[in-house]
Amino acid sequence: MVWSRKFICTRMTASRTTPICSLPARVTRVDHVCREHVIVTAESDQLPPSQPGQFLQLQCRDTLATDPSIHAWGPQTWPRLNLLDQTGPPILLRRPFSIADRADDGTANRFSVISRAIGPGTRWLDRLEAGMELNVTGPLGRGYALPDPDQTALLVGGGVGIPPLLYLARTLHERGHRDVRVLFGVQTHDLLPVRLSDDLPTNGHATPCLRLPGEASFPALVATDDGSAGFAGRVTDALRALHALEGDRWRRPVICTCGPEPMLKAVAAASRAMGSDCQVCLERFMGCGLGTCLSCVVRVHAPDQEKGWRWALSCQEGPVFERDRVLDYDG
Amino acid sequence: MTASDPRLQVRLGRRTLRNPVLTASGTCGYGPEYDHLLDYGQLGGFTTKSVTRHERPGNEPQRVAEVPGGLLNAIGLANVGLERFLAEKVPFIETMPTEVLVNVAGYTIEDYVVVCEAVDRVECLAGIELNVSCPNVSDGLMFGTDPGLLKEVVSAVRAVVTRGTLLVKLSPNVTDIASLARAAVEGGADGLSLINTYVGLSIDVERRRPVLANVTGGLSGPAILPLALYNVHRVYREVCADRGIPILGMGGIQNARDAVAFLLAGASAVAIGTALFVDPTAPVKIAEGIAAYLDQHGFASVSELRGQLQL
Repeated sequence: MVWSRKFICTRMTASRTTPICSLPARVTRVDHVCREHVIVTAESDQLPPSQPGQFLQLQCRDTLATDPSIHAWGPQTWPRLNLLDQTGPPILLRRPFSIADRADDGTANRFSVISRAIGPGTRWLDRLEAGMELNVTGPLGRGYALPDPDQTALLVGGGVGIPPLLYLARTLHERGHRDVRVLFGVQTHDLLPVRLSDDLPTNGHATPCLRLPGEASFPALVATDDGSAGFAGRVTDALRALHALEGDRWRRPVICTCGPEPMLKAVAAASRAMGSDCQVCLERFMGCGLGTCLSCVVRVHAPDQEKGWRWALSCQEGPVFERDRVLDYDG
Repeated sequence: MTASDPRLQVRLGRRTLRNPVLTASGTCGYGPEYDHLLDYGQLGGFTTKSVTRHERPGNEPQRVAEVPGGLLNAIGLANVGLERFLAEKVPFIETMPTEVLVNVAGYTIEDYVVVCEAVDRVECLAGIELNVSCPNVSDGLMFGTDPGLLKEVVSAVRAVVTRGTLLVKLSPNVTDIASLARAAVEGGADGLSLINTYVGLSIDVERRRPVLANVTGGLSGPAILPLALYNVHRVYREVCADRGIPILGMGGIQNARDAVAFLLAGASAVAIGTALFVDPTAPVKIAEGIAAYLDQHGFASVSELRGQLQL
């Protein structure tokens, strides 16, 4: 298992491309997929090839300057905007987004990101319309090392960590993977930023599917914290339940995960308990995404260092790390 | 209109730069980070991330916060240290087709002297920017806030920096920046870098905690542009103009208009910092914009702009 992983890592590194800066892209589709979430699809012929797990830095604009709700109080108060705000001044720093999908049909090179409206920049994205321009830097970072086609791949995503796994699912499908299970955890039923092939079951039994190009699909299991759809509970509980049910049929399982920090820690622990490999996609505050602002640091094991660890930049060595490299995820 | 337009050439201390636009320390790594993104052959100069005598891991995260109009950072002088800088970073710098200044930080006069002496021996390095003003380490402001100590450290460093240009980067977190500028010049500085970041604080009111693990951080970005301009204006008139000491101006520059303002206030050249995080090619666009300004306003060379603020 170790040798094959090494081989894959080498192969993935070799295929990493040089990012492009300040690329103008045209928004082709804006899909308000669920409450607070928007799928923004844009096209540009110049965006270099990318890997699942890599991210884009988007320049967002300020929508707040003229909005009276700037004085409203409370974390759930989202200012309502008017179209004039779309031309507001750029927000200083770009915002990082995992690539949620990527497709080239020969006539256009499209990519998607999924944004949840939580701040000035993401609120601007929420109000984009087809035909508008998006300024993009990327693709950046190191993505998931793709498992071998005969391995069982478990894609475990939570909330805003779901998007890179959608891109990963498409990539695995295109590379002929068949044994892929998708587990998505969200707080409640209307915060799931992806449309599955069937409406979410409320009895917890039926299995919806993640649609893929063509007629294909991967079985998907949805967990909601409040039990309003699918499995009632955390996605890690769903993972354990699934493992108990069919784990003996999994072949060299590898878990690819992305989500909030407590979830990643729980998935890392669960993957260790079930003897599975695990790659975690981390979210850290990023200033540049280019390896110079040094803000997105993560403690990784470094036996050659006196203290046994060093800081790694998640925009360069990550955002995807092998579970066992990250100090915070030690058992 | 190119960044290599001969009218853009300027002198900065002992060196001639292709154009007056450099990168600012701590926003461009040691060179490889922006290779393939930024054409170093179009750059006036490059200032490395700080180098200290010994390697420093840097502060705990969170290290950076976005604030209105700017960026608050407390990286904590994270760097590879002198030994690894010479072994691992210099070979790439040797290939960079631009003037490279090394930002040097320290805690004692001996620290500064050891690093500067080693750096001055390296032929491909154009000079040193002495960082006496990092606000994000416990005792980092000491040299930068006391004129007596500052003159002492600059004199000691000047004695070992015999080949390269020696710039001293001053902190704005002082009562009287002109007295520190004077001390640096009397200590033997070839030029001054103005300014480093302003100390600031960002608070997460929900958690009632500071956003940065270091509590305070250095404020950069457009928010500090008028403050930086004022410091350049003042130091140029009170200290540098008569003595012919060049100023490398910086603080929130995002475009050619901002850069020209610094030149008019008295800077000989400018450095671009926070704007690189958004667009690493910004310095080239800014150099081209300055050339366009020369055309529009009938100046024969960029040095004619220096200190031309009409009062």
